[in-house]
Order: sequence, then structure tokens, then C-alpha cells
Amino acid sequence: MAQAKPAKAEIKILTANRLRNGETVYYTAAGEWSPYVTQAKVAATPEEIEALTKIGAAAYAANLVVDVAVIDIVPGGEVKPAHIREIIRATGPTVRSDLNKSVAP
Amino acid sequence: MYIYDKFDHAITQERVNEFSQQVARRLVGELSEEQFRPLRLMNGLYLQLHAYMLRVAIPYGTLSSKQMHKLADIAKKYDRDYGHFTTRQNIQYNWIKLEQVPEILAELASVEMHANQTSGNCIRNVTADQFAGVAGDEVEDPRIISEVIRQWSTFHPEFSFLPRKFKIAVTGAVKDRAAIQYHDIGIQIVKNDAGEIGYAVYVGGGMGRTPVVAPLINPFVRREDLLSYLETCLRVYNLHGRRDNIYKARIKILVRDLGPDEYRRQVDEMWPMTKAAGVDVPAGEVARIEAFFAPPAYEKVSEPVAAYADAKAKNPAFARWIQTNLHPHKVPGYGAVTISLKPIGGIPGDASSAQMHAIADLADKYSLGELRVTHVQNLVLPNVKQADLFAVYQELVKIGFADANIGLASDIIACPGLDYCALANARSIPVAQDLSKRFGSLDRQHEIGPLQIKISGCINACGHHHAGHIGILGVDKAGQELYQITLGGAGDEKASIGQLMGPGFTGEDIGGAVEKVVNTYLGLRQSPTETFIEAYRRVGPAPFKESLYGRR
Repeated sequence: MAQAKPAKAEIKILTANRLRNGETVYYTAAGEWSPYVTQAKVAATPEEIEALTKIGAAAYAANLVVDVAVIDIVPGGEVKPAHIREIIRATGPTVRSDLNKSVAP
Repeated sequence: MYIYDKFDHAITQERVNEFSQQVARRLVGELSEEQFRPLRLMNGLYLQLHAYMLRVAIPYGTLSSKQMHKLADIAKKYDRDYGHFTTRQNIQYNWIKLEQVPEILAELASVEMHANQTSGNCIRNVTADQFAGVAGDEVEDPRIISEVIRQWSTFHPEFSFLPRKFKIAVTGAVKDRAAIQYHDIGIQIVKNDAGEIGYAVYVGGGMGRTPVVAPLINPFVRREDLLSYLETCLRVYNLHGRRDNIYKARIKILVRDLGPDEYRRQVDEMWPMTKAAGVDVPAGEVARIEAFFAPPAYEKVSEPVAAYADAKAKNPAFARWIQTNLHPHKVPGYGAVTISLKPIGGIPGDASSAQMHAIADLADKYSLGELRVTHVQNLVLPNVKQADLFAVYQELVKIGFADANIGLASDIIACPGLDYCALANARSIPVAQDLSKRFGSLDRQHEIGPLQIKISGCINACGHHHAGHIGILGVDKAGQELYQITLGGAGDEKASIGQLMGPGFTGEDIGGAVEKVVNTYLGLRQSPTETFIEAYRRVGPAPFKESLYGRR
């Protein structure tokens, strides 16, 4: 009988856009929403991911943020989103270097 | 140009007030996002990757210099100093703050503009031939009925919650410069054997997931019957359109599933009832609107203009620009200038506030204060005297918009793609920039001849890839951007849907793949005058597939 594949390691962060101005933001360990992706609080266990999901839902319900999502990041080192879409959200349009966003303060 | 009457002003201002209150209620939490979303969409406000995006309507692509100045001011004050002209003749701002939207709408209203119905499941901004009123080949100026349709469709209570969005385009000429057969309803102004003006009505075209070239549903709707006919077309759709499945909710699916004959039968059966309700516009009101589009005070110009001929002879770059960017005008001595928003390596459709101001100034100085937006994401100065063409060209050189590439390989349509859009699967703009540079040489572009490349970053097809001679569709395959090639599409009066060539290419390889397609065409065309689309229609996809994928 074939063995079940081990669950893929998931490392995630919580992101959204600020309701008032649409700015891309990340939930931080300090419990705030930051525009800098490297400040995002990292969740590495199912329990931590569940906790982030609940925080996102609560912030949405409180009308602080919209378009809430828990997203994958690249394992190890500085926080970096895994998918190109999220990299662009974090760093700005790739075609306007003058509008690049900083990933850290 | 049309000038608002007291009713236009009143409803525009009322909408500003209404949406301002809705924004305020959203910001304090009285409206949830679920409640607010359809309201903001009806006011052209999206949430994209980096911020809110506001889509401002430019009805039938007609714009005054004053309005262009205002669009530039908004770009500077509320956005990041630029705007993006779209395939629906609108302008989009990419970095909008929700809390500032009421102010922006008030600013727009001050110049008779708005963002009403630029999104949502309603009748969207009506589009038209960018050369309306100046093209020598038109039966009638399409702006007249476009304005009638704008007024009829604005806040139309029955059509504010359609199964899906609804787009109408109008052409006044046989030569279709508005891609009417790719619209939910496409209208061609025609003249019958008796010399009466009427409308050929195509229904059920569209791009997106299921591209359809609209069938002709009625070859001649009489002038006085147009609105009751359109209303009936929409009423049948509103009754029977699929609300249960977003992918099957457009009218193109209804017309396809019923068949054009049955759809036509249902419309014809219902039409007398709609007509009896008195929907049609009285001739006097049409005449009132028509008066706004009366030809401006053109000067009598005795041709040929010596200075113009001299400038062309002495400036080869100017002569080439004239060759591609000047459209014949119905008035002798005048021309319609297309301003290319496709500088080599640039972002298709983008213009900075400084560029917008400069173009508005050109319109004031040289084009009787008027501008147009094209569905190919360019701008038009519709009324330029031949004697002024060289001066206009020189001014455009200064602002970086003098590329002589209209209708050529680097005149590329590209949607905002994954650089901005929340729906996109892949980036469009970098592909457009790569291709623009590859085909940047004007000599090469002229050797290739007329070629329309259109790029969409997702299946929604805002970049019109289905209608591209060469269409490129960005897809996401396991997190990687891939680009599929379709060939043989066209959005003109010989509309056709591009055929998929095969598996997609990476962002690094797509440029080379398009070059292979173009080189294959150059190798097989019968003469330099056989265009890409003509050659493709003659030989079919096989040689192009072989050039891309080898013998299979």
C-alpha cells in the first residue's frame, strides 16, 4: 500500500489592502498592519496559520482592511512572497522602477 | 461637442453626492464590503493589487482640451502623476485612495465628466469610431446616436442589474474602427436603397473566455426606432440571460444558445410592446443633440499647402509620421492626427500629467479644442490644418509621443496585466515593451507592413488578444507566467477570432516566438503588399505552427 505523501511544509503571512486608501499591507508580529513585507509575522504551523486567518477575518469585519489573504512565502531568510503576483504586490509594478515599493522601512 | 443640460448636471451631481455618502458610510463601517462592492463598481472603482483603481468614462472617446487638463490635474493631485488610456476609450488611475474618491468625482463633474457605469453589471460607456465627424467615409457622425444611447442607458433602472456587463459600440462607416462585432451590441450606421439612414444591429459579440463575433440580428432598424429596438434586445437578455453562472452570463452565450434566428424572433415578438411604451426619442430631441455635433468653423484652405509639402520633403521622419499617423479629413486642407501612446519600449496607453497637459494645449492651439481616445489606446487630434502638421509633430517630439507607428508592429494593445490588475494571471506590459523594442526599427516595421499585436494578461481579454493578428494571452501555469499565441484575429469589418497555435512560451521566449511568426509571414507572403492577416487567411496556421513548434 502506497504511503501518504508527507504534508508540504507551509509558511505563510497575512496580507490585505487598507480600506481607506487601498495600500498593500502585511500583518506584523507587533499586531499592526505594515506596508513592508519583511515586517510580516510568519506562521509556520497549522495553528499559527489558523490564528493569522482569524486575525484577518476580524480586521476585515472591523473594516480596517479588505481583500484579506494568507499567502505563501519562500522558506528561509528574509520574508519573500512565493508567487509572482504577491512579489509584485509587495514591490510594485515591475515596469515602473520609480514606483517601486520598499520591502523594509 | 455635447454640452450638459440642467438634467445632465443634476443627475451627475446627485450621483457624486450619493456616492460620497456611500463612501463615508463605508469608511465608518455602516456599509460592509459586500454591500459596498457593487456600489463602488457602478462608480468605476476597483480594488487592484496596489490600491484602488478609478476608471473614468470618456463617452464615445470624445474629449475637450479642458477635460484633458482636468484629467491631468487629477493624475497629479490624486494619483502618481499618470493615467492609462484603455481599450474602451476610458482612462484609469492606478493609485487612488478611497477617501479621496468623492473629491475626484466632484472635480470630474466640474468638467462634465464622471465614472458612472464604467464597471458593474450595467450598460457600460458607449464607444465609437475615433474619427467620428471627421472621417470622409462615414454615413453619419456616430457621436449623435452614441450620445442618445448614453443618455438612455445612464441610470436606466431596468438595466442596472443585468446578468452581466453590457458593452455597446457604434461605427458610422463601413470601415469598422470600433470593433463593433466584438461587443454585446454593435451598431453600424447604414443607408438603405431609398437613401434613408438606419442602423445595422449586431448582437452577442464579445471577447473573454468565450470569444464570439456577433451575428447580424437586424440589417436595418429605422432611425426613429433605435432605442425601442435596443431596449427590446436588452429586455430579452435581462429575462433569459444566465444569472446562475458568471461564465455563461453574457448575452453572447444567450444568443449562441438560442441561435440568432430564435433570439431575433423573440426580439421581434416583444418589440411592438416596447415601442408602444414610448421609449423612442422624439426627432426634436435627436435634432437638439445633433446640433452639438455640427461641424466646427473650419477655415477654407487652398490646397496644396506649400509649407507642408516643403516640411515633408526636408524631414524624412516627419514624412514617415504623416504616412502612418495622419488620417484623411472630410474637410480639404485638414487632417486627423493620431498621437501614438506607444513610444518604443514604453507602456501602451500611459501618459503623464505633463504629457496630458501638453496634448490638451495642442488641441487648443491646433485642433479646435477637441481630442479623441482610440480603442487602440492612442489619442487623436481630429482637426489639424495641413499647415500646422509640422508644428504639431515637433511639439509631439518634445513630449516623446511622435512615434510614427500607427497600425504597425509596435502599435501594441496591452492591458495593465499583473503589474496592476487583481484579475491578471501574467504581466502584459513587459511583453509589449520587449516586442516594441524588437520591432522598434521603423524600416523593419514598414517592411512587415500593417500588423496588430494585442496582449491580455488573463482570459478576460481586456487586451483584445482574440482580435489581434497576433494575439498573446498570459496564463499562470503552476506559478509561472506563460504566454500563448493566437493568430488570425481581427476586430474590423472582417472580424475573426484568433486561433491558438499551441503551448505557451515563457516570458523570456515569447518575444523570439513572435519574431518567428513574423519571419514566417515574411517568407511566405506573395508580395510586399500581401499583409500579415491576408497571408494568414490564405495559408492557415500550419506553417506558423511549424515555425513555433517544429514538425509534429
